[in-house]
Amino acid sequence: MNELVRDPITARWIIVPMGSSADTVRFETESHAKNKENCPFCYGSETMTPPEITAHRKYGGANTPNWSVRVVPNKFPALRVEGELERQGIGVFDMMSGVGAHEVIIDTPDHFRDMADLTHAEAEEVVWAYRARSLDLKKDKRFKYVLIFKNYGRSAGASLEHPHSQLIALPIVPKRVHEEMEGAAKYYDYKERCVFCDIAREELEEKERIIYNDDKFIAFCPYVSRFAYEVWILPKKHSSDFANIDRDCVACFAKALRDSMARIKGFLKDPSYNFIIHTSPINGHEREDYHWHVEIMPKLSKVAGFEWGSGFYVNPVLPYIAARNLMSVAIPER
Amino acid sequence: MPELRRDPVIGRWVIISTERSKRPDQFASALVEKEELAPGERCPFCEGNEDMTFPEIGAIRRPGEPSNGPGWEVRVIPSISPLLQVEGNLDRHGHGMYDLMNARGAHEIVVESPRHIEEADLSKEQVVRSVNVILDRIQDLEKDLDIKYVLVFKNYGKAAGGGHILHARSQIIGTPVNLKRIKEELEGTKAYFTYKDRCVFCDIIKQELQAGKRVVAESKYFVALAAFASRFPFETWILPKEHSCDFYKVERGKIPDFAELTRTVIAKMRKVVGSFPFNFILHTAPFRRDVAKRGYWETIENDYHWHFEILPMLTRVAGFEWGSGFYINPLPPEDACKAVRDAQVEI
Repeated sequence: MNELVRDPITARWIIVPMGSSADTVRFETESHAKNKENCPFCYGSETMTPPEITAHRKYGGANTPNWSVRVVPNKFPALRVEGELERQGIGVFDMMSGVGAHEVIIDTPDHFRDMADLTHAEAEEVVWAYRARSLDLKKDKRFKYVLIFKNYGRSAGASLEHPHSQLIALPIVPKRVHEEMEGAAKYYDYKERCVFCDIAREELEEKERIIYNDDKFIAFCPYVSRFAYEVWILPKKHSSDFANIDRDCVACFAKALRDSMARIKGFLKDPSYNFIIHTSPINGHEREDYHWHVEIMPKLSKVAGFEWGSGFYVNPVLPYIAARNLMSVAIPER
Repeated sequence: MPELRRDPVIGRWVIISTERSKRPDQFASALVEKEELAPGERCPFCEGNEDMTFPEIGAIRRPGEPSNGPGWEVRVIPSISPLLQVEGNLDRHGHGMYDLMNARGAHEIVVESPRHIEEADLSKEQVVRSVNVILDRIQDLEKDLDIKYVLVFKNYGKAAGGGHILHARSQIIGTPVNLKRIKEELEGTKAYFTYKDRCVFCDIIKQELQAGKRVVAESKYFVALAAFASRFPFETWILPKEHSCDFYKVERGKIPDFAELTRTVIAKMRKVVGSFPFNFILHTAPFRRDVAKRGYWETIENDYHWHFEILPMLTRVAGFEWGSGFYINPLPPEDACKAVRDAQVEI
């Protein structure tokens, strides 16, 4: 028998198995055979990308090797940074011009080491780049939202294998974000508490789903996971905007992120995944009802007609079992 | 310049990408591969293998043939691994801040042919029979008061979450709560109706039939449109021209027309793309029975319009889509429509 669990934020229902029957679920993961030939993100290929936006480099000029993190415009951007935002309607339909920014953050010069394999210090540099780009794009009045995410593996939508993250600045607040904000606001109206703070409290009390815990961040397999081995990372101190993350927190966040990734990679044998930083829209002051966080979603099964049609999700692995399994792997210290 | 388009029903934005654009014939890498059964593997949906499934819920069979044996045309069986179950009660309860209930509902499979053929090879008669059986099933499930909504869908190909066995079939899931996706639609159509006193789908159909450039095919009672804000390349909606919110109340006399149009559209799409993986999903109004008329129930019969969505899974949904609910579609729907409409098929 299965059970239905309701996400307190978005009111999504998720189907999970009852009890502990799912101990044995095995997933096929696609292989990531890697080949660095002609990779535009490796050292020496700096001219294959559009000129860089920023990079961390100890020495040498722009668009040369010896960088540790490099940010470039996407060569095939989904949205274009030039131009004005023009809105128009045709009968029942509304449109606007595709203005936005689409950047690629090359996490590391090493073609073969993903986030899970970086040192804490290297992961920290990536997080600094996320923060710097967010702060910069927030200044552009045309943009309403900055989305930072990572696709790893073909089934997660990655087209290049060299480890990279992406950033898209949008002229509107996207629907999912809007839904989440609304759900969180409703909860706040009702309880005068942030729903994410409540989730963190509940997870810390129950302990069994936590996979990382220091004085600034927790990572856990949420009680209402949509996907098998879904992991969330949440700052313990309430803050709605990722870009406001302070110096000490960057290091802790990088550690939480790297360690979670290492556990996922270790236990699930290098699965494809997406991770997404959920943060408040630009031009928000700090909000009391929203809480920035990261959602990591290993791509272990395909979304089918049922999910598309219903907005329901089916998660075959109970979150506490996922957490226990993730905790069973050893990960590098630094 | 890429274009942002807003779905007029639920307000979802889609990026019609120009930088990443593809031509209609450039999706061959994502096609459904030929079916391969493991040595000794039998298809549980084929005539003669009835012993492999749970006892049937219903079937259209030749007179005199006993149930759970051969001699049927369409057969309805409980799902082998049901997501929701008919037995038991809902037992709503809480766990700390979370809410739970038992996965009470229904999960059935409608096997649409006794022979081992794929969706695209169903004859018109087979589609008509299957649709009629599905309508009967929905009417039957309405009697189960714990079921609020019935979702009907197909998953064809692995990329669409379908199994490796390609025997033509549909799934029916009855859920104990109203679905989030449908609620979004109901809220959108209600808002439009409140503002304009018209059904947004009726307005879309009228405008599209006038403009023509997104009309994939048209029959007497139905129309197939390339959605203005298509999330996926070749996304196609099939709608009844006449306003109606409940699929299961469709006049049975219109089913042959619906079957013909759907088969034509799928055949034309396959002519252009090849054997594309897809989800085929019914969008209809929830059961209303005699709930007090409030919220979106009040005008639902006027503002909601049932339809089917064909969602080809030729591109991958990535972090951006998950995080934003925003989709990037590399094929302008007008181009997809033209290619499909112009495809010559014999059916």
